[in-house]
Amino acid sequence: MAPRNLEKQLNILDYALSSLWRRRMKSLSVLLVFAAVIFLLASFQMVTQALTDKASQVLAYTPEITLQKMSAGRQEAIPLAYRDRLAGIFGIRRVVPRIWGYYFDEVRLANYTVMGMDVREMPEGDRLDTALAKGTIPGPEEQGRVVVGQSIVKALNLDERNTFSLFRPDLSLKTFTVSGAFSRDTDIMTNDLIVMSLADARDLYEIPAGLVTDLCVYVANPKEIGTIARKISAILPGVRVLTRPQIQKTYQVVFGWRSGFGSICLLAALASFVILAWDKASGLSPEERREISILKVLGWETSDILAVRFWESVIVSGLACIVGMTAAYIHVVYFAAFLFRPVLMGWSVLRPDLHLVPRMAVGNILLILAFTVVPYLAATVIPAWRSATVPADSALGG
Amino acid sequence: MIIECKNLTKSYAVENTMVHAADTVNLSVNKGDFLVILGHSGSGKTTLLSLIGGLTSPDKGQVFIDGVENWQQSDRALSTMRNSKIGFIFQFASLIPTLSIMENILLPLSFGENPAGSRDLALDILDQVGLADKGKAFPSQLSGGQQRRVAIARSFINCPDIILADEPTGDLDEETERDILALFRRYNEQGTTFVVVTHNSDLAATQKDARVFSMRQGVLSGQAA
Repeated sequence: MAPRNLEKQLNILDYALSSLWRRRMKSLSVLLVFAAVIFLLASFQMVTQALTDKASQVLAYTPEITLQKMSAGRQEAIPLAYRDRLAGIFGIRRVVPRIWGYYFDEVRLANYTVMGMDVREMPEGDRLDTALAKGTIPGPEEQGRVVVGQSIVKALNLDERNTFSLFRPDLSLKTFTVSGAFSRDTDIMTNDLIVMSLADARDLYEIPAGLVTDLCVYVANPKEIGTIARKISAILPGVRVLTRPQIQKTYQVVFGWRSGFGSICLLAALASFVILAWDKASGLSPEERREISILKVLGWETSDILAVRFWESVIVSGLACIVGMTAAYIHVVYFAAFLFRPVLMGWSVLRPDLHLVPRMAVGNILLILAFTVVPYLAATVIPAWRSATVPADSALGG
Repeated sequence: MIIECKNLTKSYAVENTMVHAADTVNLSVNKGDFLVILGHSGSGKTTLLSLIGGLTSPDKGQVFIDGVENWQQSDRALSTMRNSKIGFIFQFASLIPTLSIMENILLPLSFGENPAGSRDLALDILDQVGLADKGKAFPSQLSGGQQRRVAIARSFINCPDIILADEPTGDLDEETERDILALFRRYNEQGTTFVVVTHNSDLAATQKDARVFSMRQGVLSGQAA
């Protein structure tokens, strides 16, 4: 019994394949549109996941708590003396002052991010060298030496020279020497970054001594971040206290929002595809209806006819999934998701030259299948079922 | 008794008027019988074939094939019965245009009954209907008469007990018609039961011992069973 049933299924599969081949232009066009929709959805999922993963990885090295002084709802310089007021809070490992600012390059119409900080003061500062593609992190005594991100290298032609100058507010020039460049793996955070000593940043922005833009607080036990943040807020009520989990969440929300926005656009495209598929599949032509009638007259069961339609749909949607997901992987890995980068990375002039490592969770794959294969199966099998359950004598009478 | 119809009734609504396609039809057919049912267009001949073949359900009455009532069976059992016991010859050729002639003929054999061996049988039947060299052709490359002969060949591929034929020689030339009727006779002599509906009254005369009925407005009359 089993071998005969298997042979029957193989015959049905063979019929489905030949049926697809007979309508090869129609099948191919549906497959290509279907693959394109899956490609877009899968690319979006992969790139969002990769960016979120990458951001989480890089943010793991950021301070556990960042303090910024607020005035009238806007950020202003924070006195270094606030460090002393934090001394009494148990659990704080270190407080590192930082000057964080932006520099607009009018020639290249690009914004650079400037971070002035004595990185050796950071608990993990010694390990930062591992984030560099070349060179070393300058020590606090090495004035005028900087580490730059990859876009800065490109924008300022730092492959060919190792010095460049930026304007102070009084339009005098300050010259820097490049002592290292960040690795591409950290692009998402360091792409447009220039890291220099605190003194250099103070000089560049003409920030008075005793003031910085923010204080980075490192804690002994990461589980105590929330508690320590609340204590700091109580001691320094005019200070904005940002915890690393909050920053990570902000990044995820930003990527999530952008991804959601893109997904809505893609889902609209997907909905159009499903409507098209439904229209094509449900509007069985007279020839197709006649074929179903003939098959029924010749002894095919309703379930056999549905099986043919099912296999046709599985073959088309399965191939579309393979083609779409493979293309999405290539798009993300080898072409750095160039179609979605403007949406997902923001509108900066200096966009990271990302090398993304895509990750597709099983849940994401199932989600894509649920939004593509299942509606397509329904759109093709249900109309065939409706046709196959009506009396087949229409084929006799003509 | 291979076919038995009891009080078979079927009506259709056509433009708000009920048309009686089968009106209390009683019919008994023994194995090896050759039935010819004569009637004009719209007399209900095709509906009677559909009812016998289990393609449409009666409003009232019963159809038994080999003692089993058609509409008491599951879809699977009914399909299996159609596939294994009945060969249909449609009023129109009813070939699938995108399948080759050979593929069309082999279509009823898509259920695992050694299709490879059946290819020789298909070639033999194609030869019997005079189309041995047309196996690879497509229906659109054949004339109407040739397509009809392919449909006839297809009805024999499963070696069915019963052939239900609707105007089988409708668009055949005289010579081909003669050949096809001779083929019917050969199969009938081997025990195949034929129920042929036609408006061609000459057809009955070509078959030895044919039982002839006439049908008018759904009422079957003629030889009693």
